[in-house]
Amino acid sequence: MNATALSSPTSLSDPTPGSRPAQAPGPLLEVENLSVEFDTRKGVARVLESVSFALNRGQTLGLVGESGCGKSMTALAIMRLIPNPPGRITAGQVRFEGTDLLSLSDPAMREIRGNRVSMIFQEPMTSLNPVYTVGEQIAEAVRLHQRLDRRAAHARAIEMLEQVGIPAARTRVDEYPHQFSGGMRQRVMIAMALACNPGVLIADEPTTALDVTVQAQIFDLISDLRSRTGTAVVLITHDMGAIAEMTDRVAVMYAGRIVEEGTVAEVLEHPLHPYTQGLIACAPGRRTAAHGEPLEEIPGTVPSLLERRGGCAFADRCRHVLPRCRLDLPAETQFDGGQRRVLCWLHAEGGS
Amino acid sequence: MSPSSAPSNTASGATAPAEPSSSRPGADAGAPAPMVIEVLSPSREAWSVFRKNKAAMLGLVMLAGVILAMVFGPTLYPVAPFDISGAPFTEPFVNPALPLGSDYLGRDILAGMAVGGRATLLVGLTAAAITVSIGLTVGALAGYFGGWVDEALSRLTEVFQVMPSLLFAMVLMTLFDPSLTTAIIAIGMVTWTGTARLARAEFMRLRKLEYVNAARALGAGSVRLMLREILPNAAPPLIVSATLIIGVAILFEAGLSFLGLSDPNVMSWGLMIGANRKYVLDAWWAVTFPGLAIFATVLAVSLVGDGLNDALNPKMHLR
Repeated sequence: MNATALSSPTSLSDPTPGSRPAQAPGPLLEVENLSVEFDTRKGVARVLESVSFALNRGQTLGLVGESGCGKSMTALAIMRLIPNPPGRITAGQVRFEGTDLLSLSDPAMREIRGNRVSMIFQEPMTSLNPVYTVGEQIAEAVRLHQRLDRRAAHARAIEMLEQVGIPAARTRVDEYPHQFSGGMRQRVMIAMALACNPGVLIADEPTTALDVTVQAQIFDLISDLRSRTGTAVVLITHDMGAIAEMTDRVAVMYAGRIVEEGTVAEVLEHPLHPYTQGLIACAPGRRTAAHGEPLEEIPGTVPSLLERRGGCAFADRCRHVLPRCRLDLPAETQFDGGQRRVLCWLHAEGGS
Repeated sequence: MSPSSAPSNTASGATAPAEPSSSRPGADAGAPAPMVIEVLSPSREAWSVFRKNKAAMLGLVMLAGVILAMVFGPTLYPVAPFDISGAPFTEPFVNPALPLGSDYLGRDILAGMAVGGRATLLVGLTAAAITVSIGLTVGALAGYFGGWVDEALSRLTEVFQVMPSLLFAMVLMTLFDPSLTTAIIAIGMVTWTGTARLARAEFMRLRKLEYVNAARALGAGSVRLMLREILPNAAPPLIVSATLIIGVAILFEAGLSFLGLSDPNVMSWGLMIGANRKYVLDAWWAVTFPGLAIFATVLAVSLVGDGLNDALNPKMHLR
């Protein structure tokens, strides 16, 4: 990549990795007390409540939880892509390299999107525009943020396709999306997302729509690219296996809150929150497979986000429920100097 | 997907649904030699479908004929259309100096036919261009932004929709000077609502698609999303409707001329019909030939429009 000048004077940081200003100390991405609400016909749904986490350079953070727990909303809120109306971010900060993204102007935010913070979506089959060749689309992603002529952008597109492991990139670059399989399209999406060397890649269930055999390849590709480019990754998934293999830290979400966070080894081996314990028990393991036993399940369903009462949202499904759980929201308990935290009354006394 | 394209060896997992394999008959039947499925860009693929549509090709040939006649007609037949070239009510095919006869003033019908097409097609094309630019702008903004923008623009569209279009155009023509420009603007003003609603529906549908969101996540702004991501995908129905509007505009101009509301100093097919309408029973030829010309032009445009509809609609490709 050449040294480039940005088209917009509102840019916050130079897009070329080599010439970035001295990195500010502290985490690359910090989400603090992020809250999101949606207006619905039945009232206000509080989709995210005080979500906080931090991500260091080159790290991978896993976000897990059931459908509807707010994983994708967290991703969209970081990108400021929550459809408004009906949704809105009501509180919190999203600090990227020390700048609060939520306070940026729209043009300044566009400079960040796809350039410094990128996102790939669940649905690779429909995430590419059918009327352009994949090369044109990757080149477009580059040219949105960097002043490159067509030839250079096309060369960059070929380079990116090679990087994401598409064979015969030189000829395939001029092909249309319908000529690519799902896994190949997801590779193209990853190429587009990484074309500007972003600091953070948010992968929102990147393999859900794909064949099981292809899923592993995509996960391998993401971790390979992360180690090569140093891009930090937020991996949203409900695949516990992928969490175990791919991530450094994991945050478990339930009904719009992060209920437990810690290093992967800690959380998977010693889950503290009853919900995390349930999630891990649900994952098909050796025992269930060998004995043909039915999979574990967590009784009940996710509570409606509309009728939020006091107390812990998981109380009705929890097998360790205490009287207190239904009255007060658990306070956050931290362990290991803040490296581990859990939102549960069971651990409130044991914490620091 | 035709079975004949089975031995394809396009790269892993690629699908090639709409290959025009019949365009290379026998190419894959005998020879198992290197088989490369030719992949066409969307526009080339549309052309290959269009080419096989006999009605559409007939329309295209007719349209080409009309345009050629308009361009070269007055040069090949240099008779002034407003001049009195012979006796009034000369029948056609009788006097070689007046091949198609003359009208009630003795004006040469063929000369009027040769020149009149220019005004007719000019009105058709420019009015359609105005229609599409107003309709597309209004519809795109309403469909993309939604909310109060959509409310305001939709109500505006409805106001224009409920007005009787011919009366409204007549009012415009009488309020301002009866020139061709006024006619074009008047026609544009009354025909854009359909295009606006079509564009609105397409933009509403497309703005929610994943690839538009993906482009937004890559840092594209609203203008870029509308013009680069959504518009090319919304284009097929809009191209078809624009083509059909050319026909509508030609008929509208003919109608205004017939009512004596178009520019009396510019010869057009509609003006010829309008001027001779009182003498229909005495001189059938004075209205029939320009009428046939309008009919043929509008038919050609409609056939091309229908052909484009089939060619640009991906669902039709598999038939």
